[in-house]
Amino acid sequence: MNNRFVINYNPGPTFFHKLSGFTKVFMLLVMTVAIISTFDIRILVPLLIINVAIIVSMKPNYKPIIIVFSITFVTVTLIGNIMLFFVSPQAGLNNVGAEHIIWQAGRYYISKEFLWYIFIVFLKRTVSFASVMAFALSTTPSQFASGLNKCGFSYKISTIVSLAYRTIPDIAEDFVNIRNSMMMRGLELEGKGVSFFTKLKNYVLLLVPLIFTAFGKVGNIANAMDLRGYGKNKKRTYYAETEPTKGDKIVRALTVLLLVATVYYVVMYRFINPWPAKFWCPWLSRDEIVTVNAIDTLFFMKWFKK
Amino acid sequence: MKKENFGSLLLGKWDTKTIVTVAIGAALFGVLMNYGSIPIFTNTSLTTAMIVPVVVGAMYGPLPAAVACGVGNVIADLIGGWGIYPAWAIANFVAGLFVGALPLYGARVTEGKFDVKHMIWYAICVVVGNAIAFGVIAQVFTVIFEGGDMNVSLIQGVYASVGNILIELVIGLPVIYMLAKRYAGRSNLTEE
Repeated sequence: MNNRFVINYNPGPTFFHKLSGFTKVFMLLVMTVAIISTFDIRILVPLLIINVAIIVSMKPNYKPIIIVFSITFVTVTLIGNIMLFFVSPQAGLNNVGAEHIIWQAGRYYISKEFLWYIFIVFLKRTVSFASVMAFALSTTPSQFASGLNKCGFSYKISTIVSLAYRTIPDIAEDFVNIRNSMMMRGLELEGKGVSFFTKLKNYVLLLVPLIFTAFGKVGNIANAMDLRGYGKNKKRTYYAETEPTKGDKIVRALTVLLLVATVYYVVMYRFINPWPAKFWCPWLSRDEIVTVNAIDTLFFMKWFKK
Repeated sequence: MKKENFGSLLLGKWDTKTIVTVAIGAALFGVLMNYGSIPIFTNTSLTTAMIVPVVVGAMYGPLPAAVACGVGNVIADLIGGWGIYPAWAIANFVAGLFVGALPLYGARVTEGKFDVKHMIWYAICVVVGNAIAFGVIAQVFTVIFEGGDMNVSLIQGVYASVGNILIELVIGLPVIYMLAKRYAGRSNLTEE
């Protein structure tokens, strides 16, 4: 059952496992900012290579990663793109700035730019996936909590995060137990012949005991924490936060460099010298690009224009 | 009993018990996101995770509910390994604020006070909150952060809002009602 979770509860042996919590949380935050701020393939590909290299260097168990990735691929990318094709085939024009049609059937068509748009969005999702995977595989919950605290978040947030991680396996076990015992008693939760509202009603019967079991632990845990003096002082130190090693210092320096590069890129190519369309595309020059106001692309706007 | 003003009700009381509740709420959110989906058709499903802000909000107020929802969403993404979607974490946070606003209009579930007037208020909050959070905020940030197409986002927003509203009304109302009944049973001691 725990195979479905990629989160790692034990510290591992490789270089990235051994880095301190702050280094990894800082790296994830900077990486997320960098990924969000750009649609440029020239930035996304190096970021992808870095993250894949980190994942490979940790020699993980690839099976759950591949399973999760394929589920995400099918649900988000494939279905999303089929929907996109029917709803707005002009997405290429809107985001990349031109249209070279390669296939057409009535209202629906595929342009070179449409494919490029799909590819870049997919690439961006993959980079985001890889960076989160690299983080989740290398970081234990206590490192995550101490890192968050050192990044400037209140230690109450850190406690929430580490405590939530700590209780997830327990609650997952409770959930599976309650579900199985309810199904044994004939409560129909899945299957074909069951109507949707029967399922909804049955989920109420499943959720109520789960909520009472889960929140029933609150009193005990809170009392135990209070007895040990939790929340007495303004600050808190973490056992998992060690002195930075040589590796930590190098990775932190590289992360700061990435942050500076991201800020430079945003200022330079978003504000001072912006590319006319949202997505950069190798076969288009500046003059060919048609800019489209994003609001005009909403399908109901044409009703107002008449 | 001392009178509580709007601000303190909005923020909630951040003692150890609240922190533990929020943490467990976030964990429950993560588990339900991964396991507790109600299948409708082959590939579409409704997640029951949105019950968490309802319960946390009923006990501790809007901000704890919002934090449980936002942190829970990030944790769910991390344990599932789907990648972080900041747009949805922000939207969940906002939805939690609205859905968990039970104490603001006078429902005291921990004292067993939850009647028809509160149910109507709750329904209004759920509809408005989800429409704003998943219909507008999530989609605007998705377009900005991930370059999603506006029309597709609109459809997804409507779908997500309707699904969550359905869950929070059809499952949430009976759950709060049962919670209130249970707490009322505990506190109706009378002097002899």
